[in-house]
Amino acid sequence: MQNLSPALFLQAAPDFIRSIGKIYVVVAVIVIVVLGLFAYLYFVDRRLTKLEDQIQDDE
Amino acid sequence: MKGLWWKVLALLLMLYVVLAGLLIPLKSGIQSVEPMQLTAGQQQTIRVEGYNTHFESGEEIRAWLRLGSPRVEGKEGRDTAILSNSVKVIGVQDLSISFQVPAYLPTSDGAARASLIIDNPKDGAFVLPEAIILKQSEALAGPPSPQGWSSQIENLSASSGITFPFRGLLAETIRNQYFHVSLWFSLMILMLAAAVYAARFLISGRSEFDRRSEALTKVGLAFGMLGLFTGMVWANFTWGKPWSGDVKQNMTAIALLIYLAYFVLRASVASDQQASRIGAAYNIFAFAMLIPLLYIIPRMRASLHPGAGGNPGFGGEDLDSTMRMVFYPGIIGFTLVGLWLAQLSWRTARLKHKIQERLLG
Repeated sequence: MQNLSPALFLQAAPDFIRSIGKIYVVVAVIVIVVLGLFAYLYFVDRRLTKLEDQIQDDE
Repeated sequence: MKGLWWKVLALLLMLYVVLAGLLIPLKSGIQSVEPMQLTAGQQQTIRVEGYNTHFESGEEIRAWLRLGSPRVEGKEGRDTAILSNSVKVIGVQDLSISFQVPAYLPTSDGAARASLIIDNPKDGAFVLPEAIILKQSEALAGPPSPQGWSSQIENLSASSGITFPFRGLLAETIRNQYFHVSLWFSLMILMLAAAVYAARFLISGRSEFDRRSEALTKVGLAFGMLGLFTGMVWANFTWGKPWSGDVKQNMTAIALLIYLAYFVLRASVASDQQASRIGAAYNIFAFAMLIPLLYIIPRMRASLHPGAGGNPGFGGEDLDSTMRMVFYPGIIGFTLVGLWLAQLSWRTARLKHKIQERLLG
């Protein structure tokens, strides 16, 4: 159980950028932004496809 | 929706690039050494601050001072180095290292630059080039001697796990390679595609090709602006200011203005058909200018960017195989995103064209 002491946790931290663990917050934010942008692209694309189909049907 | 697979691929690649590009740690390195000057002939102690290191007392940590001078005679194939005689661990990132520097330097100019190499069983071996200047002591003036400088640097440990290179000046910003540089590479592909479509339009006269060419140029220009601004942010931290008048920065600005003029030109011609023909011809010339502006002129001048002076742009520690694992997917990812954006743009233009035709006819 001695391995669970906070001092040892810090010592075993993998590296500087992840040492406090907050970088995961940044990564999570960026992932959400990327997902959101792609979702937006997808919906625009789908709407455009519908319009294209409508014009095609009219012809 | 037709052709969905490559759009999904674009998303997966971008997620991979963000995750791998941000979360893979840097290799261990040396941040600072104090003092930076040592005198020969004395027992000397230096304080070393590491980066991403895991120093632990009780482990065998070794350090060398290695002279990089090629003027050392009669020692081909051997290291000119001294081994530390004691390494004390102060913290996971801090060491106190003692060297017994021999009385005489092996070089004749009274001073030598030494690299500091540290080998730690956990982190592997890492080096700070030209970390320390060694000076011949004036009290002990004498001829240069190779005696005491023959420690071999051997049995180095290997680091475990995937890491990106640690470069003193760049440190964590080396990750920008996957975003800033990938963006520029994908811009080249998009602009090339735009020029090809422009040529196909001139040959066949099909307006669809012109719409594609214009859409790709639009996205390419947007990528170029992003590339310029991301470069300025990066430069602010590594070169000291956002705009140093570096030859590649200046040429990039010119290249972007040339492409900006493409849209001004198209908008200033009243007839749609003429705008398309003149625009397509201009687009080919703009691409022909992009190559020398971004890739030839900067390499012929002194530039802060890698690849100056005719050298290949990347190699060795600037782009190792771990970085390629993220960098190349990044290029493909950004290119596919650009293609998707361009496709939305030209499909909208096509719809607009069809509706206009119907209204008129």
